[in-house]
Amino acid sequence: MNPTPPDTSEARILQLRRSLRPFRRRLWVRRLVRDGTRLAAVVAAFGLALAGAARLTPLEWAPLGAAALVIAALLALLIDAARVRPTLAETAMALDAEQGLRDRLASALALADGLHGDRTDAASHEALIRLQRDDALRSLAAADKRAFRPRLPQRAMAVTIVCAALIVPALVLPNPQSAILVAREEQREAADQQARRVDQTADRLGIGRESPDPRADVAEELRRLAKNLRDRPEDLDEHLARLGSMEDALRSRLEPGAEQRAAAMTSLSRSLSQLATGSDSNPEGDPEEAADDLDEVADALDDMSDAERAELARRLAELEPVARQAGPEARGALQDAATALARGDTAAAREALDKLGEALERGQRQIDLNRDLARGANDVQDARRALAGGEPTRTGAGGQPGQPGSSGQPGQPGQPGSSPVPAISPAPGQPGSSGQPGQPGQPGASGQPGQPGQGGQPGQGGQPGQGGQPGQGGQPGQGGQPGQGGQPGQGGQPGQGGQPGQGQGQGQGSLGGGGSNARYLGSGTGQGAARGPTTGNRQFGTGELDPVYADFDRLGPPGDPSYIAGSGGDGQIDPGSGQGAGTGDEGIVPYTDVYQDFHDFAITTLDRSYVPVDVKDYVRDYFSTLGGGR
Amino acid sequence: MTQQAIDQASADPGDGTGGSGLSPAAFADRAGLIEREVQRVIVGQGALVRQTLICLVANGHALLEGVPGLGKTMLVRTIAEVLDCTFNRIQFTPDLMPADIVGTNVLVEEGGQRVFRFQPGPVFANLLLADEINRATPKTQSALLEAMQEQQVSVARERHLLSPPFFVLATQNPLEMEGTYPLPEAQLDRFLFKLWVPFPSEADLITIVERTTGPTTAHAEAVADAAQIVAMQRLARSVPIAPHVTAYAVSVLAATHPDGPRAPQLVREYVRYGGSPRGAQALVLAGKINALLEGRYNVATDDIRAVALPALRHRVIRNFEGEAEGITSDAIVRAVLDAVAPPAVD
Repeated sequence: MNPTPPDTSEARILQLRRSLRPFRRRLWVRRLVRDGTRLAAVVAAFGLALAGAARLTPLEWAPLGAAALVIAALLALLIDAARVRPTLAETAMALDAEQGLRDRLASALALADGLHGDRTDAASHEALIRLQRDDALRSLAAADKRAFRPRLPQRAMAVTIVCAALIVPALVLPNPQSAILVAREEQREAADQQARRVDQTADRLGIGRESPDPRADVAEELRRLAKNLRDRPEDLDEHLARLGSMEDALRSRLEPGAEQRAAAMTSLSRSLSQLATGSDSNPEGDPEEAADDLDEVADALDDMSDAERAELARRLAELEPVARQAGPEARGALQDAATALARGDTAAAREALDKLGEALERGQRQIDLNRDLARGANDVQDARRALAGGEPTRTGAGGQPGQPGSSGQPGQPGQPGSSPVPAISPAPGQPGSSGQPGQPGQPGASGQPGQPGQGGQPGQGGQPGQGGQPGQGGQPGQGGQPGQGGQPGQGGQPGQGGQPGQGQGQGQGSLGGGGSNARYLGSGTGQGAARGPTTGNRQFGTGELDPVYADFDRLGPPGDPSYIAGSGGDGQIDPGSGQGAGTGDEGIVPYTDVYQDFHDFAITTLDRSYVPVDVKDYVRDYFSTLGGGR
Repeated sequence: MTQQAIDQASADPGDGTGGSGLSPAAFADRAGLIEREVQRVIVGQGALVRQTLICLVANGHALLEGVPGLGKTMLVRTIAEVLDCTFNRIQFTPDLMPADIVGTNVLVEEGGQRVFRFQPGPVFANLLLADEINRATPKTQSALLEAMQEQQVSVARERHLLSPPFFVLATQNPLEMEGTYPLPEAQLDRFLFKLWVPFPSEADLITIVERTTGPTTAHAEAVADAAQIVAMQRLARSVPIAPHVTAYAVSVLAATHPDGPRAPQLVREYVRYGGSPRGAQALVLAGKINALLEGRYNVATDDIRAVALPALRHRVIRNFEGEAEGITSDAIVRAVLDAVAPPAVD
């Protein structure tokens, strides 16, 4: 208790502060441990509540919530670390209490500023303060250097341990909600995937097109649909309804006989080009090219002789049946041209030929539009089906290819018929219109993604191919040789369950022209009924009165709103009523002569329409086989 | 003790001795010496002796309450012997008059003339034992008021200073209440401490019996004089106190008031008035002395708590319910101490 020299008083207080700093760090650690334990208890309690709730109800955000909880706790601890950092005064008070120093340190620090105010005993007061500082320093030196050992709050620790012990089984044991979450995730992925598909369809339809092109409007609607799919994948029913509505809207825009018309357009274009150039310059049947060829013919009309124009008129007239199928505009223009040429009115003929070219081009555009819309409808249908089944298409097994349509029955040989009009020459009879090839089967939607350890579900069967249009009976030949029987009708393209077409040509020519796909079929006799190529299935959903053709497994599980199997084609008979000049043996056309036409059409269809790869291969193999025979 | 000696003791040399050359260590030694010497006569009662000493050093007054025969008067007499101070005793009775305490002017002949000369009463002493103070009338009791508070008496418009130290030790008997005049609150407040004289333990009783029934009687020696007491008083007031300790003392006092924010339920229910500001002064001053007595230079909250009971028990005025329920002042003060914990940092 000896008084300390005055000159060392400030040094003593500095030393006191310096000596307190290690204790301050230890006190800080103790507070952090204390608060950290409490925070851990809070986190554990909330985590347990979260884990329990996640077992009662599907909480997709549970892992995120748990992570957020931990992050929030760490953040809180960080903030708390800054908040609870003790001051030296707090350290002094805490050390006083812990070491029983009777406020020596806290008083020394509190009185570090020395004397305040006027006091009559200022000198003795200062002296006592110096003594007090010395006393505090001695007490501090004697204090336990390991003071402020971290102490774990017992209650918080118990809560933490209990909650942690309960959380472990809650996390380890199988959670019945996991399956629901997985299903939701799959649904989301499926929705996203279908949204991409719809977007792709929208891009395909909409890029480069603007309203009033209906494809632009459809594309815009599809994009909205895709956005809704992404934004609200959980509204499955609503999306399915909208997709179904969209599909219906698209299909309602489709022209039912578009493909027949397209085939006729192609045939007409090819024939017109051949007529104009004298060679098979347009084997693809491109309407634009045909229009160009007609322009050239129109330009050359003035240079033609009357005989040539008459011949041209006659040949144009011969194309009238095909033009009729290609559309009234083309037919009218063709008739006008033929009539004008027959009259020798070249100006009118030129104008008619121009109109014919324009009609061909417009028809082609219309066909393109129809095909685009059909593809869009198919895409939307696929998306809807995939969404309904929650089947991502990327991982499933490939779908079953559509069943090939049955081949059409061979046409009946035409009966020799008496021609009402004497045959001028043994010209070949009018060809029976070829049966349209069946639409290729729609690609099978891919199967379910394979569950781990389980094989992939088989994909759903492909859409039933549209059956080929019924072959039209051959035109009755005139005065031809007895028909040798029609060529066998070409079956529809592989389609599902196409019913055989039952075209029956009724020729009245002397030589029966068999109903055939042949382009230049010999003029058949009157009764040459062509059991034309099969017709494939009807359009989706229209064959309610017809037998369902797909087996159950490929229809998918009950409740799957996938599709209704198409039924067989009607096999309508289009009795030949033409007055083709039947010829003799030319009424029989080897298939090699028409092979190229069918091949070209098939290839064009493969290129322009969505056809599954394996079906494409099937079609190519088919033609390769025929080609090899040739 | 002469005034010169007192003035000398009051000078402040700035050496931390409180102006008397008494160091804190010497203070503790001297106090210890006094305590030991008193306890040569007084058996046991260590706390009572310590608290009495605190009152003395604080320049305050103590009210001792206890049943007869516990040595209250003996304690005061022993302290007077130990301190080597002037000592007077007044036995308070109902017929005691104020002039019997403070003194009076008497007619005397000086140089052939008759003049009034002040005849000091027994209050003019360093130590005054007011025995059974509650037996005097309030008028007489109040005669002590000025002396205790101002350390002076006024007689016939003339002030007469009392020589320091002036220490009043009053006693009262809580049992024989008939014919007594309980001290009014204002006068109770003048006492720094109200000390409860406990019944001695059996071991202490044996010692008491042995000491008082033998051939010799224990006597205390004088180990301090008035100047030293004044020096101790001076030093005690110089002890610095940290703000948080002062705040704690104030909080304790505030909690004795029923409308205080930290008042415990007992206070709210059974206390009519809490302690006066003198109570806070008593806490701080007594706390300083307690710290010095324990060899420290700083006042701790524990010092405040140690002196809270004697410093506040007579300042807490119970209401009717409190008295009817038998709630003691000590219980109330203990409740206050429980409610107002020292500032703690964890």
